[in-house]
Amino acid sequence: MKKAGIIFKKEIKEVIRNKNIWLPILIITAIFSIAIPLFIILGSSSLLSDEDTMNFINKMFGHVDDPIRVLIGFALNQLLIFLLILPAMVPSLIAPSSVIMEKENNTLEPLLATPVKTSELLLGKSLTAWVPAFFISTISFIILTIVVDIAAFIKLDYAPLPNIEWIIVAFLLSPILSFILTMASIIVSSRSTDIRSAQGIGAVIIFPIYLIIGLQLAGLFLLNITYLLIGCLVLLAICPLVLKLAVKVFDRENILTRWKMKG
Amino acid sequence: MITIENLTKKFGDNTAVEDISFDINESEIFGFLGPNGAGKTTTIRILSTLISPTSGKITIDNRDSLSNGEYVRSITGLLTESPGMYEKISAYDNLEYYSSFYNIPVSTRKNNIEKYLKMFDLWDRKDDLAGTYSKGMKQKLALSRALIHEPKILLLDEPTAGLDPESAHMVRIFIESLKKERTTVFLCTHNLEEASNLSDRVCIIKKRIIRIATLSELQNNDKNKRAEIVFTDDADRYIRLLEGTFGVKVIHTEKNIAILVIEKPEISNPLIIKKLIDSGAGILYFNEVKATLEEIYLDLIKDENTK
Repeated sequence: MKKAGIIFKKEIKEVIRNKNIWLPILIITAIFSIAIPLFIILGSSSLLSDEDTMNFINKMFGHVDDPIRVLIGFALNQLLIFLLILPAMVPSLIAPSSVIMEKENNTLEPLLATPVKTSELLLGKSLTAWVPAFFISTISFIILTIVVDIAAFIKLDYAPLPNIEWIIVAFLLSPILSFILTMASIIVSSRSTDIRSAQGIGAVIIFPIYLIIGLQLAGLFLLNITYLLIGCLVLLAICPLVLKLAVKVFDRENILTRWKMKG
Repeated sequence: MITIENLTKKFGDNTAVEDISFDINESEIFGFLGPNGAGKTTTIRILSTLISPTSGKITIDNRDSLSNGEYVRSITGLLTESPGMYEKISAYDNLEYYSSFYNIPVSTRKNNIEKYLKMFDLWDRKDDLAGTYSKGMKQKLALSRALIHEPKILLLDEPTAGLDPESAHMVRIFIESLKKERTTVFLCTHNLEEASNLSDRVCIIKKRIIRIATLSELQNNDKNKRAEIVFTDDADRYIRLLEGTFGVKVIHTEKNIAILVIEKPEISNPLIIKKLIDSGAGILYFNEVKATLEEIYLDLIKDENTK
């Protein structure tokens, strides 16, 4: 474990120095945690004056006494799901570069020639992708909460977050998703010729998130606590499978002789 | 120190090394030579437990390497063919990082980093990013990395590749000095002069072992015994008389000098000299010359290719 910690410590410093990782994350955090919630809450009154918005609320929720709160609650649910883009995106930005760059720079072979165990190397690399993903998404959820609560309190005199859905998404769904993406990135890296194609996995995984949002906006589906918990259970069941596969792929001999890299 | 028994490694249908066996003694410098694709890197990777053999047994420091990979890696230092370094961190931090995986006290680690960086003239630039180093400096840094835990066995893949003559000389002197510290050196190189000067024994392979011997054993092989004849005038006109007789094979002639391989020289040489004198040749010198490792190597590889 100590050796995994050494790897994590060195790698995380490199991640922190890498603007290509931080910049897209900052932009997404600013958009989904600050700009969009402010727009929705501060503009909720004018949104409700739109006939289509009222029709949508009536269709989804039937007759409601306080349409503003219902609209804000619905919009926050979308935002929480949107924020899953971060735990999905961060590992797919970090893990492939952490692994492929080693091989491209010819540093992996000398590293594997030290007494480090393959499992320690996999753990160190995984933590490098998973810890920032969890940290960043939690920070984003907290920023979202603060922004939403301040804006809602000023405008409507109430603080809607955190709620149960928020807790499930921030502390269950998000870390599980990050873990799966970290392992998936490592697996895909083993078959990739370059970092970009390995990073493409993030784009693929984000697609189901858009699908859920699309289904909700179309009024076909409404994400609630039950669905979120079922989602967590399904993803949890996938975790050991991707872990097993990653351990199998992340084998000394595989890494050195079968991974398609330059050099 | 190292025993390899019937080692075979296959990658799918491709056989990288086939049924090779040899022993390497403690503090021996063992030159491992062969053309590209001969299985040198595969063997070095198997010895450093990076890959597993398809069959065969490897014993390192009296332990089976397959079941003691972590131990084997803790007593071996590996210099890979490409001296990869983390380019965005300093040379010092590179060594600090790699050395932290070995079970050595922090103070020893720091002393060793300083010792090797100074030894290879890198100490003044220890805080520079490794990415700013020249190829030769990176090679010296990589060698420092391989030595940082003072391994019992040093596996070197082309240690002087990319080095300027002065640095290459420094590295060779250093490798030679390792014998005194009882370090066993497994030296893969294409530089046959280097192998010849450093190695106690050489192994020539091309997937299978072609020959293992000391340089003098190789040179004392009748096939590698050569004679140099220095004539008073043009060598060609006299050498033509010898072709096809006395088991003479002409290796090279230039102006008044001829290099020959002579079968059974103890019997043939007096007869050759007599024949040359009878034909009016003026002989200035008749010397035994030893074949260089390069000549022996090329000969052996050529024979192997024609099999």
